[in-house]
Amino acid sequence: MNFAAALGLALPLGVGIAAIGSGIGLGMIGNGAMQAIGRQPEATAKIQTAMIIIGAFAEALTIYAFVTVFLLSGKIQ
Amino acid sequence: MGLEFLARVRRSSIVAGLVVTLAVAAAAPYALAGGFAAGVAWSLVNLALLQFVVVTMTGPERGTGAAFRRLALAFAGSLALFAAGAFLLTKLPIMALAAGFTFPFLVMVLKAASAALLESAFWRRRTASPWQAGVLVLTLVGATWWASTNFQGATRADAQTETHATEHAAPATDAHATEAAPAAGAEGAEGAGGAATGHGEAAAGEHAAGGHEKAEGPQVFENVLGLIVKSAEHAAEEKGQPVPAWVHFLHQFEIVIYSLFVAVLISIIAISVANNWQSVPGPLQALVETWVEHAWNFFCGILGPKYGPRFVPFLGTLFVYIYVMNVIGLIPFMHSPTSNLNITVAMALTVFVYVQFTAFRELGFLGWLDHMAGSPRDVVGWALVPLMMPVHLIGEIAKPISLSCRLFGNIFGEDMLLVGFATLGVSALSALHLPFGLPLQVPFMFLAALITSPVQALVFTMLSTIYFLLMLPHDHDHGHEHHGEEAHHAH
Repeated sequence: MNFAAALGLALPLGVGIAAIGSGIGLGMIGNGAMQAIGRQPEATAKIQTAMIIIGAFAEALTIYAFVTVFLLSGKIQ
Repeated sequence: MGLEFLARVRRSSIVAGLVVTLAVAAAAPYALAGGFAAGVAWSLVNLALLQFVVVTMTGPERGTGAAFRRLALAFAGSLALFAAGAFLLTKLPIMALAAGFTFPFLVMVLKAASAALLESAFWRRRTASPWQAGVLVLTLVGATWWASTNFQGATRADAQTETHATEHAAPATDAHATEAAPAAGAEGAEGAGGAATGHGEAAAGEHAAGGHEKAEGPQVFENVLGLIVKSAEHAAEEKGQPVPAWVHFLHQFEIVIYSLFVAVLISIIAISVANNWQSVPGPLQALVETWVEHAWNFFCGILGPKYGPRFVPFLGTLFVYIYVMNVIGLIPFMHSPTSNLNITVAMALTVFVYVQFTAFRELGFLGWLDHMAGSPRDVVGWALVPLMMPVHLIGEIAKPISLSCRLFGNIFGEDMLLVGFATLGVSALSALHLPFGLPLQVPFMFLAALITSPVQALVFTMLSTIYFLLMLPHDHDHGHEHHGEEAHHAH
């Protein structure tokens, strides 16, 4: 397997694997936030803000993988 | 023009010298930057010693033994300084050292000149009306622009005459070139014609589906400046002239121009609303007022009433700026500046510098070190300092990297998503030879406009706010001494 073929195989796989992790994380964050809102509806605004921020953290990991893909995809010729 | 003026000169020289040193280090060999920095430092120490001597000799304590001792100390210090200067002259480039040495004097002259100008009647007359001042500024900018382009043009013309001379010196190659050129042109035309017949329909469809086109490298939507650059390059190519300087400028600073455009847009809206304040607000004023009130409550709620008001303007502007930059890419023929890493890194670095500046001002250097060491208060804390220090320092450096990469990745990914779906929509109908494609990207445009753009702007600003919060001195009135401060404050 040469370099380009290895990259072509690994880059999409890398994003996929990262997306699995992010998805699990986002699901857990959403789960926790929804439960918290259900228990304490008057704190919805605060919980939502925190949820969005932590969601962005979880999402950013996939984005890093995505950026890596774009940085390296130029080397597949 | 007293000691206070000298202190201001010293402060400005340090800051401006640092900036110039960084610029020189980026563009020239490090020895030049080092020489410049050493020159500035030497000159500043020299000025401080002179000031010390003058103050001691003219102060109320003159003639006493203490004053003589201090004078002797100052002279010993200046001797050591001259020795250091001689040593530096042998080690570093002399021109850089001389430039650094004159730099504080330049700052002094400029400061004095600007002070004199600001107090003059001319300045008051010119700045009385904003229109007149604006015209003056525009004239100055235009004159600078004209001078710089003419200077560049002159140097390029020189280079051209040189190349012409070499070409005439070798007529054989010249003839060869003229022979080869038509052949290449015919080939190119043929290739372009073939491509046009093949892709004509697709290209037309792509234009109908939101104005984007196949390009080399990663596919992107076309934007106004890119089109101008392309057409100008094409025209120059047809005439056989070199591509003019402004085209290169436009091509190189495309995203900067877009971000400046956004900044000017926001400024115009804000200034027009602030200048035209009414007690019964119109729609624009209502929008701006709502936003300002929300931003005030939001950031003050996080930072607390003591520090909140100081940072609301910066953070609120940051949010609006990033949001508009994210959204502007959804308008056809516009381009999101935040989908380029340069802009996001610039903003993240601004936040980083401001956070560190605030930390130094509020905590002091020792307080900052204490914070970086994890605020050790007991034996375990001190034992953990070698571990905590690098962790905190790396964490500080990782903050701007993660901030900029997150914003860039999200907006760039969003753009790529739109391009991908637009291309898919075009290629889905390409068999029918219709002049348009399926608008598959439209739902994702709504997704981008309603969710990604505001959330990413919010995340960027929110994280900046939290970085400020973590660096500000923590209030102790809640009984949390040093446990769980971050968790306590981050909610």
